[in-house]
Amino acid sequence: MRVGIGGNNVSGQTGSLAVTHTVGISNMQTTGRPNDVLVTYSLGSCIGLTLLDPVAGVGAMLHCMLPLSKIDKAKADRNPFMFTDTGVPAMLQAVFDMGAERRRLIAKVGGAASLLDEKGLFRIGERNYTVLRKILWKNNILIAAEDVGGTVARTMYLYMRTGQTVIRSRGKETEL
Amino acid sequence: MSRREQILSTLRSTPALPTPAIRVVQLVQDPEVDIRELTEAIRYDPSLTAMVLRLANSPYFGAARSIGSVQEAVMRLGTNRLFRVLMASAVAPLAQLAVRGYDLAPGKLLEHAVGVAVAVERLAASLPKRAPNYAFTAALLHDIGKIAMGSHVRIDAKPIMDLAFRQNLSFEAAEREALGIDHAEAGAVLLELWNLPPHLVEAVRCHHEPDKAESDTLVVDLIHAADSLCLLAGIGSGADGTHYRPTAGVLSRLRLGTKLGERVVCEVASSLEDLTDLLTVSTGDELKCH
Repeated sequence: MRVGIGGNNVSGQTGSLAVTHTVGISNMQTTGRPNDVLVTYSLGSCIGLTLLDPVAGVGAMLHCMLPLSKIDKAKADRNPFMFTDTGVPAMLQAVFDMGAERRRLIAKVGGAASLLDEKGLFRIGERNYTVLRKILWKNNILIAAEDVGGTVARTMYLYMRTGQTVIRSRGKETEL
Repeated sequence: MSRREQILSTLRSTPALPTPAIRVVQLVQDPEVDIRELTEAIRYDPSLTAMVLRLANSPYFGAARSIGSVQEAVMRLGTNRLFRVLMASAVAPLAQLAVRGYDLAPGKLLEHAVGVAVAVERLAASLPKRAPNYAFTAALLHDIGKIAMGSHVRIDAKPIMDLAFRQNLSFEAAEREALGIDHAEAGAVLLELWNLPPHLVEAVRCHHEPDKAESDTLVVDLIHAADSLCLLAGIGSGADGTHYRPTAGVLSRLRLGTKLGERVVCEVASSLEDLTDLLTVSTGDELKCH
């Protein structure tokens, strides 16, 4: 899906190009370039997950929408990144293929917001987060930091040069 | 003059919001254009839908009864007049795509409007009773007040969001607290000024407070539920985030829970991917609108 801001923006001097890659909803992006920035916008109940192996210099960002792929298997086959249960394993495989090692992976999470929903009418964010934890746990990966829940939209950045994951919400930036 | 009166006066002087109707113009310029394809292209563009309905309902075209859907408007206007209307709206100053006050990047409000319209159709399909045609139109226009409030009145949503957090209010309640009016009512005021049918105006006015609707509660319910799902899933959301309260009565009337909600979100996301071509204008045209 196209997102409003972004596309791929190139800035900086030739030789040290900093390229910003926008990760759309239901999408994932890996990078092995030291100056890349990965960004995803409009995280509501969706999960934003960053993985970084600082030694191999491999990073990735996932923006998945819904917890379980069983609601539409055909769609999950075409695009596993729409769902948490298929998106996270596919993302892990992609970073392993690029030389990342499980024991070095730093995982950070943003999103899983809810509405002002005191009665728990829609639990999409909560379910996304539960499924995520389960899959990471099965894969022996701990969550190093997170900013989840609440009623805010989040933007998430991964800066490969510094290894920082940053969340922007309500006009403020916070490093995870 | 109170803040509310100031805002109402600004709204009254807001022209009909034009839109970069590039895709439609491309279709119109094709001598072999399929009228159904053209109708589809208009249906998925909220500003253009507003423009076409406004013109179709204007005294100039002698509207004897209110026209609530693009299909009716196309029939009423006839192809030639429709083409002129579309061309005029394209050369008119292009709509600002970004809605700054609400921190909506270019394209985001459109994405949200189309997402809600598709979600309304999907939710309606799960019900035994057929929803009226104008539900789709009302869904597309439900946040038109954000364009007026964000771009013309130039409100800033951030302090309103702070107020909402401090006082434990939903976002639109905080808008009323701070400004004396919320974006739903602002949208309704505009649609009323453009002589759109009262049931359409009512649906837009009540989309965050569905229990206040006096007529046609089905459409209001559908828009409220579809809007809640799209805001939650981050489909075209802005500074107001997910800070809205879903109404329990609506969800039980629509028999809508997390499971059906997830299926609808899944279908909306896929439809938005399919609709991208229809909604996309080329980069050069997009730059002109900023």
